[in-house]
Amino acid sequence: MNLTPNALCFGDDLPATGAPCRVTLSVDGLRLIPSEGSPLIEESVAFAALSVAAGGLDHDQLVLSWMTGASARTLYLKDPTLIVAFRRMAPPELTAPLERAAEHVRRVRHSHRLFGGSAVGIVVGLGLLLWFGSDLIVEWTVARIPIEWEQKLGEAVYQDALSKETVLKEGPAVSAVQEMTQRLTDKILHNPYKFQVSVVQSPVVNAFALPGGYVVVFTGLMKKAESGEEVAGVLSHELNHVLQRHGLERMVKMLGLAAVVSIVVGDQQGLIGLARELGLNLVTLKFGREQETEADVTGIRLLSAARIAPEGMIGFFERLSEKDKERVELFSTHPMSAARAERLRAELAELPKRSPEPFTFEWKSIQESLAKSELNK
Amino acid sequence: MKSEILYPGAFPMVRVYLADGETVKAESGAMVAASPTIDIESKMEGGFLGALSRKMLSGEKFFFQTLRASRGAGEVLLAPTVPGEIVVMDLDGVNEYMVQKDGFLAGAEGVKIESKMQSLTRGLLGGEGFFILKISGTGQLMLNSFGAIHKIELKPNEEYIVDNSHLVAWTSTTTYNIEKASSGWIASLTSGEGLVCRFRGPGVVYIQSRNPGSFGNWIRQFIPVSE
Repeated sequence: MNLTPNALCFGDDLPATGAPCRVTLSVDGLRLIPSEGSPLIEESVAFAALSVAAGGLDHDQLVLSWMTGASARTLYLKDPTLIVAFRRMAPPELTAPLERAAEHVRRVRHSHRLFGGSAVGIVVGLGLLLWFGSDLIVEWTVARIPIEWEQKLGEAVYQDALSKETVLKEGPAVSAVQEMTQRLTDKILHNPYKFQVSVVQSPVVNAFALPGGYVVVFTGLMKKAESGEEVAGVLSHELNHVLQRHGLERMVKMLGLAAVVSIVVGDQQGLIGLARELGLNLVTLKFGREQETEADVTGIRLLSAARIAPEGMIGFFERLSEKDKERVELFSTHPMSAARAERLRAELAELPKRSPEPFTFEWKSIQESLAKSELNK
Repeated sequence: MKSEILYPGAFPMVRVYLADGETVKAESGAMVAASPTIDIESKMEGGFLGALSRKMLSGEKFFFQTLRASRGAGEVLLAPTVPGEIVVMDLDGVNEYMVQKDGFLAGAEGVKIESKMQSLTRGLLGGEGFFILKISGTGQLMLNSFGAIHKIELKPNEEYIVDNSHLVAWTSTTTYNIEKASSGWIASLTSGEGLVCRFRGPGVVYIQSRNPGSFGNWIRQFIPVSE
């Protein structure tokens, strides 16, 4: 008779893979029927002779051991129905050890589930953290970049950006922008930056700010503006992008982990290299809506503190958004909306009324000089 | 099904004789040559989802190929991808083997293959990944290794320590814990062993005499870098 084996028997005289055998149960104990060709000898073992434990890779097998003559025998039962049957047939003396073994299995399974659950939890948690907390990570990273790095970084991009452009070195337009910058920066508390504002000859109606205090105003924007206050409004907005380190935040977001790592290990050259790699992308970098609002609000406060009429900023933005929607680049990077103007008006209403002080220059003559320098060219 | 190992050593092949209608499952791409009576089918062991989970989770090839002697008896030659030995074992229906994902070469029709998730610590630190193959059933099972294959036989409660990247397969009656190779972390790392598995019998552990990861690191220095 050759029965399908349902257990493995181990012993010093048996193969290391175990001898397959058939285990049957009776009221007195178990009977071991070896498979054909097995070195195992058929035997009966009384329940009283057995000691029980849990074993196997996942601790889910029932391990029975006993002595046959001088040699130790260990039997591994894996079949769940056989294990259940054994527990039912076993006499009360074995109940306590069986219970202990079962408890052990439960504990192992529980800890596996716990581990599995916490592994899934950690993965999901990390995912959520990256999804929702990326802004926090960016903020944390940006806060760790020293101002000097930011300045070097901005300088590198600034040089690249303006290498092919005509930068106005002198003239009424340059002095006008310098006057605006001076009046604004005088009112910035705790200013760690040395702002460098350049006027670039270009028909593009735009202005942009780079990390480290590099601000560029295009002559196109100056020609479109109806007063110095309007340009000062844009300038104030851009200065505040720098002060809030918005450019740096966007950059860290774009460069991602590489930037974080080079900041953590203090690799300044690496960071600048990365920024260069981005190249002019940084110039056309779109700020997020939150960053725009922040720069608007702090910008208008700065204007008010510098006693520059803040209405110019709002009026200019609104006028440009209505008329030249397609051609004005300012709004590709600074999208204007009714809600944004509304927000600015609300902010303005809350600010203390200060009587504005006019600029020393005549705006009309600045614009004429710009037109003239273009003709000469 | 009968089999014989040709050219034992580093570059072996298995010749499998199939009777009319018999099949053998093999790692996809393992077939080298076959009689014209043999048909090759791609079969997804455990159904599509089973195959998918095996692919996604254990990195094992998506399909096993099934070679069927549908037009009369014939023979098939099978070989693994990496240089190394092949071992043939007979499954008795009770023994179960845990096999790391690259270890499976071929199995008879009665051999059952499942992916199994390991516990977190074993998966993270064991070096075989979170998922391994659980192979049970009856019939011949062929495993392959990188380098020579070595069998360690463990008596009940006998212990043995194995560098985890040398593991090929082990029976499910053994248990193992992952430990540091030396008592301190620094010594563990500098000894080049890092983490090891402490196996406890009864059962059998198959190990490979070469470590694929270390070999990869070693050979990398000779690969020209293309710019």
